[in-house]
Parts: sequence; C-alpha cells; structure tokens
Amino acid sequence: MVDLEDERRRVDWREVMHRIAAGGPLRTILAMALALVIGILFIVFANADVQRTLGYFFAQPGDFFAAAGKAIADAGTALFNGSIYNTKAKDPVAGFRPLTETLRFSGPLIAAGLGVALTFRAGLFNIGGQGQMLMAAAWSSFAASQIHLPYGIHLIVAMLFGFAGAALWGWIAGFLKAKTGAHEVIVTIMLNYIALSIVTYLMRTPILHDMSKGNNPQTLPPDATAVFPKILGDDYQLRLSFILCILAVVVYWWLMRRSALGFRLRMVGLNPDAARAAGINVERTWIIAMVVSALFLGLAGLNQAIARDGNFNQHVDEGIGFDGITVALLGNSSPIGVMFAGMLFGAFKAASPAMQSADVSPDILGILQALIVLFIATPPLIRAIFRLPEPREITDVGTRRKPQLEQGSAS
Amino acid sequence: MNTKMMRGFAAVAGLAAAGLVLAGCGAAPGTTPTESGSTAAPTTDFLACAVSDEGNFKDKSFNEAAYEGLQRAGSELGVETQGLESASMDAFEPNLTQLVDDGCGIIFAIGFNFSLGGTNGLIFDFADAHPDSKFAWLDGWPGGTKDNVKPIMYNTQESSYLAGYLAAAYSTTKTIGTYGGLQIDSVTAFMDGYYYGAKAYEKDTGTPVTVLGWNPATASGDFVGGFSDTTVAGSISDNQIANGADVVFPVAGSLFTATAESIRSSGKNVVLLGVDKDIALTQPQLADITLTSVEKKMTQAVFDITKEAIDGKFSTDPYIGTLANDGTGLSPFYDFESKVPADIVAKLKELTDQINSGQITIELTKNPS
Repeated sequence: MVDLEDERRRVDWREVMHRIAAGGPLRTILAMALALVIGILFIVFANADVQRTLGYFFAQPGDFFAAAGKAIADAGTALFNGSIYNTKAKDPVAGFRPLTETLRFSGPLIAAGLGVALTFRAGLFNIGGQGQMLMAAAWSSFAASQIHLPYGIHLIVAMLFGFAGAALWGWIAGFLKAKTGAHEVIVTIMLNYIALSIVTYLMRTPILHDMSKGNNPQTLPPDATAVFPKILGDDYQLRLSFILCILAVVVYWWLMRRSALGFRLRMVGLNPDAARAAGINVERTWIIAMVVSALFLGLAGLNQAIARDGNFNQHVDEGIGFDGITVALLGNSSPIGVMFAGMLFGAFKAASPAMQSADVSPDILGILQALIVLFIATPPLIRAIFRLPEPREITDVGTRRKPQLEQGSAS
Repeated sequence: MNTKMMRGFAAVAGLAAAGLVLAGCGAAPGTTPTESGSTAAPTTDFLACAVSDEGNFKDKSFNEAAYEGLQRAGSELGVETQGLESASMDAFEPNLTQLVDDGCGIIFAIGFNFSLGGTNGLIFDFADAHPDSKFAWLDGWPGGTKDNVKPIMYNTQESSYLAGYLAAAYSTTKTIGTYGGLQIDSVTAFMDGYYYGAKAYEKDTGTPVTVLGWNPATASGDFVGGFSDTTVAGSISDNQIANGADVVFPVAGSLFTATAESIRSSGKNVVLLGVDKDIALTQPQLADITLTSVEKKMTQAVFDITKEAIDGKFSTDPYIGTLANDGTGLSPFYDFESKVPADIVAKLKELTDQINSGQITIELTKNPS
C-alpha cells in the first residue's frame, strides 16, 4: 500500500513536459487572450497621460477612460504600422516595409522554434539553441570571410559550414545524454557557455577577426558572394534565408508526420520504455534528435550571421535560441503552429520601434511573450509541483470525485 | 480556491482600492486656476531623437547621460524629443529607420556598437542611405567623414589624469586600482590618464605609487570583457582591494555597483571613482564611498549639438570634449571635501591649466591589434 502511494505521488516529469509542449489550439488561444488582457492593462497603466488622469480619477473619471482608450488605440495603431503596413509612409514601397521586417525577424524565430519543437516531440528539451546558433554563425562566418569562392557555390559552402558547426554542438549534447545519462537540459545550458567563450575567443584571433580593428571581439565582414541575396530588391531587407525558414517548416512537417525517423522520434517521446520494447534504439534516437534539432537552430544561426552585409560580434544569436522555446510552446510544437508563433513574435520585434515611438515601453512586448508562455506552461506545472490529480472527465455529480468503482480499480 | 486565499485576495484588493481612492482624490486640471499652459516653453516643430546602445536610457550611466541632454533640450528649447531603446544590436537599424520616418531633425546614435555591421559600420552606411537626415554619433568614431554625421568624442584622459593624481594623493596605502569593461580606446583613455596622473604624483613627491589593473607600457590590465558582468567586475575589485588598493576606478559603465559591493563587503576604508556621470549625485547611497567621478559630460554635448541643429548650425566637425571646454572633468568632492587637502586642490587646478595649455600631454596607449 505504501509503495503504491509512493508510486502515485511520484511525478512523471516527462509526462509533464509532454503536456506542456503539446497542448491543444484552444489552450493556446485562451492563453494569448489572457496575456493580451494583462498586456493591455500594462499599456494603460504605464502610460503617462493615464497616470496623470488617475490623480483626479474621482473628479473627472471620463478623462481616465479617454486617456486609457487613447493609449490602447495608439498602441494598436503602432503595432499595425510597425509590423504590417505603415499607413504614414510616403509611398507603398515604404508602406510595406514593416511587413517585410516582420517576416525578416520571424525567419530565425521559426527555425529556432522548429528545432526546439522537435526535441519536445522526442521527449527532450534543447536549451542549447544559443550555443548551436553561435557555432553555426562562427563556422559560416569563417567560410564567408576566409574562403573565397564564386557566387552561388560560396553561399552553399558557408551554409554547409554553419550546419556542420551547429550539428556538432547538438551531437555533443545528444552523445553525452545517450552515453552517460547526463540530463540534456544541464548539458545544453553548459554548452551554451562553452560556445560563447570559444566564439568570443575566435573573434579576437585572426581566424575570425581583422587584427587591425582593435581588440574587441568581432568577425571579419563576409564576402558579398557568401551572403544571402535580398529577394525583394534593395528597398527591403528580406533575404533568401527567409524562404529557407519556410521550407524548414515543410521539412519539419514531412519529417515528423511522414518519415520513419519522425515516427521513431515521436514514439521515443511518448514512451521510451515502450519504444525500446518495440526494438527502437532509444539512445541513438536521442542523439539523432539533438543533431536534427541543432540543424534547425543552425539555420537560425545562418539567418543571423550571413543574412547581413556586415560583420557581427558574439551577441549575434540575439537570444533567439531561447525565444525558440517560447515559439515552440506557443506553436504546440506543430509545424503550422510554430510558423505562426514565429511570425507573431517577429511582428512584435518589428513593431518595437514604432511602439516605442508611440510611448509604449518595449518591455511590454517581452511581458506579453512571457505571459503567453506562463499561461501555457503553468497548468501542468502547478499540477505536477503540488501533486494535484489530472482533471477527470467522469465525476460523480456534486462531489466532483471520480466514481467509486474506478477509484477502487486505480489504487 | 479556498477561503483563506479568498480572504487574502480580498485584503489585497481592498488595499489597492483604498490606494486608488486616496490617489484619485486630486482635482482635475482645468478646475484649478493655477494650472495653465502659460509657463510652457515656446514650442517649435523640431524633433530631436536618440537611439540607445544595447540597454536603456535609465542605466545611470552612458545612455542616460546622453538622453538627459535630449530631455533638457526638450524642456528648455521647447522641442519635441523621441528616444528609442535598443534591446539588442538587431534593433539599431529598425530604430534608426523609425526615427527617420518620424521626421527627426537630428538623430543621436549612442555608443561604440554603431561602428559594427554594415560595410563601413552601421551608422555610416545608414547615414549614406538617408542623406537628408542628420546624425550625431557618440563614441566609436574611427575617423573619416560623412556629410551628415557629427562624431562626438572625449579626451577623458585629461580628467582621468587629475583623478589619478588625486587618487594617489588620497591613498594611504599608495596602491590604487582600475579596471575596464572592454579594452577599447574609449575605455583605456581613462585608464591611461589615471595611470600617468598617479605617476605624476609619484614624481612630485618621491613616494612610490602602485597602479593595479593597467599598465600602458605593456598595454595589459584587468578587463571585464563587457559592461554587464557584475560577477567578473566584483572579483576584479575584490582582488585589487585584497592587494592593498584603497581607491578603485572602474571604467566599465554601470559596473561600479559591483565595485561598491566589494568595498562594502571588504569592510575596509576603500573608495571608488565614478565614471561618465557624477555618481555621488545619481547614486546617493554610494556617496560615502565615492571620492569623485570622472565625468564625460555627454548631457551638455547632446544639448549643445541639438541647439546647433535647431539653429541651422549643424556641422560635421567632430566635437571633442576636453577639460578646457568643460566636456569632461572631475565632479565635486561632496562628503570628501574635508579629506582632500587644500594643496592638492590647488595642485589639481594647476595641472588643469598645464593640460589646457599643452604643457602636459598624455600619451594614449595603442591597444594591441
């Protein structure tokens, strides 16, 4: 009896992770709605005009509501002008720039989100996006600036270098998990620091650095031949790398839904014991999951490193490896979900200057992102931490307990 | 939700409501006769703008100093102002674009990082692409000119020279320390001045002075590797204090807070020197351990350049802040007024004159390439 009690109390963290990572669309929509409501409250009460009207709220409450309404409308207008179409632009070419900026920012977020989502599906948690992106950036930067090749081939070589760097970093994490049992969360976090230190060091040596440019870590500018070309002309910053990120969504869909490898990944994710019993090499699948995940993050790294004309420093990952976790959660780890989640956060990033210009603190967007994740991840986490039972569908009327018969058979 | 929690929520809600009631009892504007628009400064339709370096305008240091200049221009010259913060370097270009779209009369790009990226550095490329806009760029100017970019640089070695002399005179252990954020010219200029100032005291008095954390001869010293890692800044400070330094000069933006913590936890009679802003003023809780600050008066420069732009006198001649034009200098001593002997104060004045007249020249270290 005591053993059974223990057994029931033990938390199956894999199960918790799975519940967090793969919820239904309804939960996502509700989480976003709730986050939006709180976000609007922040926008209203952080607004200077609103705060002023609060001082005499009871004398003239109408002022408060007018100011609050204006704050919300301004923020909404700024979000639209900054991420979709700039209604104040001189000409349509400039008007559509925000939309292309949204897509540009969403590219690496989508790629990183897919990478993290893949590990979620495989029952793993890849927090090593930063390291994998940095490796991709550094390796591709090396190929882009130190190797000189003609147009076309140079870009492909630089991409292959980037993918190789990221895959190596993912493989190390997967290998350590498979062979030593080290938890991938710890390993990937630590590998982030190692990658950051290595890349910073390389950015001070002739391997990646122009030694005549002082002692600050920064890379050599890439050759023009190794940079993703702009796809909508010189008026827009959108580059070929974005198309690759959309292709990555298709690849992810095919991989997880149609391929034998995807089937194995999902099976290991749902129940590694059952997968092992069915003859699947679970350890090998873990390694493969980490490597393929790192390839997606590598694409995000390439988006940051060689989808620009100039050089960069060790902050080139811009935290997208971590944003990818948010994107994967919001997108329910599904290909379409991740794509739209990436675009939403991309729109937030693109709209940040316009929102600031409308006196909305850029931190609001961060709060909004955090709240969405919080509301998505919290219910399963709270249940797990406080050992609360899963909600039951069948309950006795009035008591909310499950029927006597079923309770008996379960304990 | 159980009743206990409910009660808790009710209590919190009640307090909040009470607060709202109390806060909301003021009179509406319009209803009080004193409130009228007549005191406002004359307004022009000029828009003065700034993009922050990585971080925000409330960093108690670099970005804030520049932003205050903009705000002063807003209140004193009656211009509209707009500041956009950059959460990361990816935000630089979108922020600049937004400001150009907003129709800014002048745009300040704050920080060394604007020299990164692009083919000639982000700010130069951007200025080329937007020839109708005017820019001013704080720090990081590599030389060269653009038709619409005014570089703002500082001879901080001059004020740091005074700080070094003062530190050496104040120190009882005759060991003083310094460290930098990154080993870049705009940082080591402070450290060079500090070092040579201390050595000038040594020469004047014959008392040997040890400077920890920077040696211009070998161009090596203590560097955090950035401007945000308080752990590393703290351990460097701990180390220098343990090695006898009783004055520490952190040239690392807001990381002086880490040094302050090291000083407090050491329990020793150690002081620090502020950087960029008058720290005793901006951080009153540190006034008791702040001997003085080496100010880079960006607030003044931003104000002046904004005024020039409004008056149509914008030029791309570099602005160089010196002791002579009061672009850089030491802050008042406040609590330490009584602890700095009058002859040292007089000597600092004499040194200032000698620097201004060119009798003293301070050699700058060329950082390893």
